[in-house]
Amino acid sequence: MVTIFYQRMFQSKSLFAGGIHPTDGFDKALTGGKNIIKYIPNTVRISLKQGLGPACKPVVHAGDHVMEGQLIGEAGHFLSAHVHASVTGTVTAVDETACEIAVEDCRLPDTDCVYYKEFVEISYSKEELVRLLSEGGLVGMGGAGFPTAVKYATKEKISHLLINGAECEPFLTCDEHLILEQGMAILNGARALKKACGAQKVIICMEDNKVHCKEALDKLLAGHGREVEIRLLPTKYPQGSEKQLIQAVMGVEIPAGKLPAEVGAMVSNIQTAKAAADMIFGGFPSTSRVITITGDVAHPGNYLVPIGTDIGELVALAGDVKSKDNKVILGGPMTGRLLGFCLDAAKMQAEKMAVVSKVSGGLVVLDGNKPEVSNCIKCGRCLQVCPAGIKPVMIEKNYLLGNLIACKALYATECIACGSCSYICPARRELAFHVVSAREAVRAKIREEAAQHA
Amino acid sequence: MHKDVHSPYIRTKVTTASIMQDVCVALVPALVGAIIFFGIGSLLITLVSVATCVAGEALWQFAHHQKITVKDFSAVVTGMLLAFNVPSTTPLWVIVLGAAFSILVVKQFFGGIGNNVINPALMGRLFLMLVYPTKIMSYAEPMDVDAITSATVLASLKATGKTGYSLWDAFVGKVPGSLGETSALLLLIGFAYLVWKKEVNVAISGAFFATICIISLCLGQNPFMQLFAGGVVLGGCYMLTDYNLASGSGKWIYGIAAGMIVMAIRLWGTYPEGVCFALLIVNSMSGLIDGLLKKGHIYGIED
Repeated sequence: MVTIFYQRMFQSKSLFAGGIHPTDGFDKALTGGKNIIKYIPNTVRISLKQGLGPACKPVVHAGDHVMEGQLIGEAGHFLSAHVHASVTGTVTAVDETACEIAVEDCRLPDTDCVYYKEFVEISYSKEELVRLLSEGGLVGMGGAGFPTAVKYATKEKISHLLINGAECEPFLTCDEHLILEQGMAILNGARALKKACGAQKVIICMEDNKVHCKEALDKLLAGHGREVEIRLLPTKYPQGSEKQLIQAVMGVEIPAGKLPAEVGAMVSNIQTAKAAADMIFGGFPSTSRVITITGDVAHPGNYLVPIGTDIGELVALAGDVKSKDNKVILGGPMTGRLLGFCLDAAKMQAEKMAVVSKVSGGLVVLDGNKPEVSNCIKCGRCLQVCPAGIKPVMIEKNYLLGNLIACKALYATECIACGSCSYICPARRELAFHVVSAREAVRAKIREEAAQHA
Repeated sequence: MHKDVHSPYIRTKVTTASIMQDVCVALVPALVGAIIFFGIGSLLITLVSVATCVAGEALWQFAHHQKITVKDFSAVVTGMLLAFNVPSTTPLWVIVLGAAFSILVVKQFFGGIGNNVINPALMGRLFLMLVYPTKIMSYAEPMDVDAITSATVLASLKATGKTGYSLWDAFVGKVPGSLGETSALLLLIGFAYLVWKKEVNVAISGAFFATICIISLCLGQNPFMQLFAGGVVLGGCYMLTDYNLASGSGKWIYGIAAGMIVMAIRLWGTYPEGVCFALLIVNSMSGLIDGLLKKGHIYGIED
């Protein structure tokens, strides 16, 4: 009984170790209940680097007229993915990194298509599906940017395909709204991806703050319940991290240094599944995505935009930023990238700060202040919340002393860069930044040593 | 203004200062109890102790051109805990010395908050015990207008085998003793607040109390009297739980070791009370205990 009491009191219901509850839900409520807004800009600047690999080779020239979905960048590396024109228009400028197009027309994937309304037959073979994913330029849209076709071409036997709709990052609701509005396309995409990797079952996983999404999908699944499973998981960051999601659903850990496929798992984001449906059933390559613009903006919301849309333009669309001392983050507030401080829409547009890529899930505007870093008080909170089970405080200490051997012995290499340690630190120490730095330094050292031995 | 240049860009509301403030709040019921039992002098001692700690820390940091960190409230906690560990009859100049020793020698000499090895309040109390034993060893009878001093429960238990006080008095705090330690009831109310705020780990305190109960039962002592008399509740709830990075199973060992030392000193030592020594010993052992235990599970690594 004591044990049960102890667990009730001090360990929240959880299917993976550690983790945090960053907010009480006000953040997601900012954009909750609003429909996705379709937005077509006047120009787009499409980055030719969308996958993990180097930038694609441009295959169009300034002055060319391109059609929406036409190939504009050819991948030359197995970790790169093809880039397509996200709009119809005239190419105004091309260089090694980006292609600028003046927009004449943009249809975005047609939601009147049959696969948005009902279950469709998948007539392609596994190989054909993988080829389509490659031609469509699909990459992991949850943030990793790993080329989907490369992942699905695996020779490993896959038992579970997990469609990741956890969306554990605070503030972001783009996946949630996509499920609510385009659930059938996601279900069809999930079924196609299941066939593409040869999985025995496909599970759409969501945090239990999205019960309404499960209900919506269950309704669509009526009569086809066996094809796709919908699973609710406890709401806890980082539930949507690949390793933690697999642990929560399948009860297994991916051995250090291995890929999920080796435990028979495959994970793809909700938006990837939807993009797969667009490519496989509609012939639309991956040229658009839904992005959440939220935080200190006048009208937070979710926007369906072509890849290459200027971020500043979207912020202006959301009513510009409200606070002067803001920080603007591309991605989620836990793992995103800082664009800068004290920005407004005009400044962001003038400086061509960023454009929407296939992996941009959100743009979050927050108050830029932060209390000063102070001494570690040895409270041990970072040890409790680390989902990897490592000791951020010890790794930070050794990293700052330049002791990489100790960092390696403390398994700095296993850090998943979720940021939970920095979030929870009452002394506001930059634990995550230092542990990730230590991880990179240790990995570089291991590579160096391996090269010397070879 | 400080900028957040590294992810994550959101942080919990809990800060070092908020934790320390919560501890201060948790100690307030016991302070009110002390004023009721031992008079307004208790409040005066506490205020002087806190003021000395805060001023000592600020002056030291000012003199050394360090950032002044008194706003984190840790000096306030040290001041309150030190005051709680001395009797209400302590002269004010003695408490000033003790507080100065705590904050300067034990805390600032080692590098300030987080870097001190040992709990400053405990060390300050030990310092006074050794340097001015007579000044902090006369315990007032609670709620007594004539200010008669008498032996503590544990001292009379040790000397005569009897206490002269009921268990209820010991639980509520109507017994002679250090000003903040006598009322188990009020200290536990404050502790419940900290547990509710998830700021302390009950494993350490639980193991500590359980060990004392079990040893008392085995050796024919009244376990409740051993728990409620003396500094077990104050030490177990507020000082043993002082942060020390002890990992999971280390916490149990930590509490059990402290409990065993307390009972050994109480039963077979010269002093009637052993909490102060026990806590100092386990404080110093925390690194050792952590080192002896297995490292805990790391994701993806076979144990």
